[in-house]
Amino acid sequence: MGKNIAIELNNITASYDNEIVIENISCDIFDGDFFGIIGPNGGGKSTLLKIILGLLTPVKGIVRIYGKSPKIGRKYIGYVPQYSEYDKQYPITVWDVVLMGRRSIRGLHPIYSSKDKNETIEALKKVNMLDLKKRHISELSGGQRQRVFIARALVSHPKILLLDEPTASIDRDLQINFYKLLSQLNETVTIVLVTHDIGVISSYVNRVACLNHYMFTHDDEKMISKEMLEATYSCPVDLIAHGIPHRVLDEHKKKKKS
Amino acid sequence: MDVFELLQFPFVQRMLLAAFFASIACGIIGTYVVVKRIVFISGGIAHTTFGGIGFAYYLQQLGVLYIEPLFGALIFALISAFIIGLPYIRNRLREDSTIGILWVVGMALGLLFLNQVDRSKIVVQDPVSILFGNVLLIKIQDLYLMLGLIIAILTITVLLYKDLQILTFDEEFARISGIRVDLLYLVLMILIALTTVVLIKVVGVILVIAMLTIPAAISNLFTHNLKNMMILAIIIGIIISFFGSMISLIYNLPPGATIVITLAFLFLLSLILKNLRFAIYKDIN
Repeated sequence: MGKNIAIELNNITASYDNEIVIENISCDIFDGDFFGIIGPNGGGKSTLLKIILGLLTPVKGIVRIYGKSPKIGRKYIGYVPQYSEYDKQYPITVWDVVLMGRRSIRGLHPIYSSKDKNETIEALKKVNMLDLKKRHISELSGGQRQRVFIARALVSHPKILLLDEPTASIDRDLQINFYKLLSQLNETVTIVLVTHDIGVISSYVNRVACLNHYMFTHDDEKMISKEMLEATYSCPVDLIAHGIPHRVLDEHKKKKKS
Repeated sequence: MDVFELLQFPFVQRMLLAAFFASIACGIIGTYVVVKRIVFISGGIAHTTFGGIGFAYYLQQLGVLYIEPLFGALIFALISAFIIGLPYIRNRLREDSTIGILWVVGMALGLLFLNQVDRSKIVVQDPVSILFGNVLLIKIQDLYLMLGLIIAILTITVLLYKDLQILTFDEEFARISGIRVDLLYLVLMILIALTTVVLIKVVGVILVIAMLTIPAAISNLFTHNLKNMMILAIIIGIIISFFGSMISLIYNLPPGATIVITLAFLFLLSLILKNLRFAIYKDIN
């Protein structure tokens, strides 16, 4: 059974401010994957995201999203930015944030249609935030806000959900709920998440790649714990210091039992 | 003299109409300026209009071309909007340096041009009233130009409302959603330039920032919805500019400065009221 390739990265080298940040990265992300990319800050994670979203052109290599170039293929992607990348004081309600996710479909047309509004209701339901639709974004907890931005990404019916450091603003206790939500969503969309927090590589992720200038992908699920350990060591030391390596192993063992 | 007597004078009617136009422009565009945190970009654009006004008088002096000072201001405002909004400049130079340079070059050019004008031949508006506004000097032609600008501003904002909201909230997301961010940013700069020109007759070059910022900032204290913020800012602008103009007439004060101080006072009052309400609310809970 051949799986569809959702995102194809072929021998990507990219630079930022004239400095090579990532080199010779190749990786296929398949339809239905819950793909985790871990790596330290400055390891090239945000550069890689920019390349996938077509915001940055690589020096070398080919990116394909469902066989299309990023600028066209990004319509299949729902992107959830980092907590820090938008203005929390901006006068906007939950409803309006999610509705703006329809822009990619609505285009230049000046008014959102009733279909856009219905889709917004559906997306808010999916993340369990419909009750809070009139709230201002500053009146939400970190977890709630993150769910709003997931709804904004979902409202355009993407095939891929791309999340940048999604748990950075969420309490440890609530992270479990958050991953449960993601794994529910994973039944219908491919999920790619990027993080420097090794704790994130929870039992929900089915494939892991380690990114620090180069990328190591760990494909064989059975080998994942051993491979992960090696990968962790081939990643820089601060990653090990941040997360707790044996915890990673624990969580993957749990997965095997289930 | 009471208010109703004052209202009989055509110059007072023109003044109020100008204040009305100014309030609409600053309510809408000022809201974007405040939420996008580009108050000082607007300041830069506003100050270059002084150069444009001087340029218009200078052309009159040369006898080459007769252009209205306000039209000269419009040309300079648009040029500076283009300079600030050009992606090449935006990505390569530090924004605040660009603003600073435009700001002072505009002012200096204005002074140089005005210096070249022979005041025995050409009637030149007093530089102080250019800088600080003088609603008493509004001509019918100015009102027509202002009306045209208001119509342009309203049309563009209505058509691009949803894209401007996305751009001012989250630029990266705007790009991903298929919005041509560089172009739209340029449009926003042009909108600010147009607004600036509407405002200079009322409050003057230097005080434009006040009209752009304060009504929207007050409005933002009471609403979290962009559209409501614009509407409330327009209402605040109209009330305060009418009130300020009347006070300035009755007590013989400079109108621009009176409007600005009234606005600032209202901002302070609103801030106190809001915090009081918040404190009481917290007490009850």
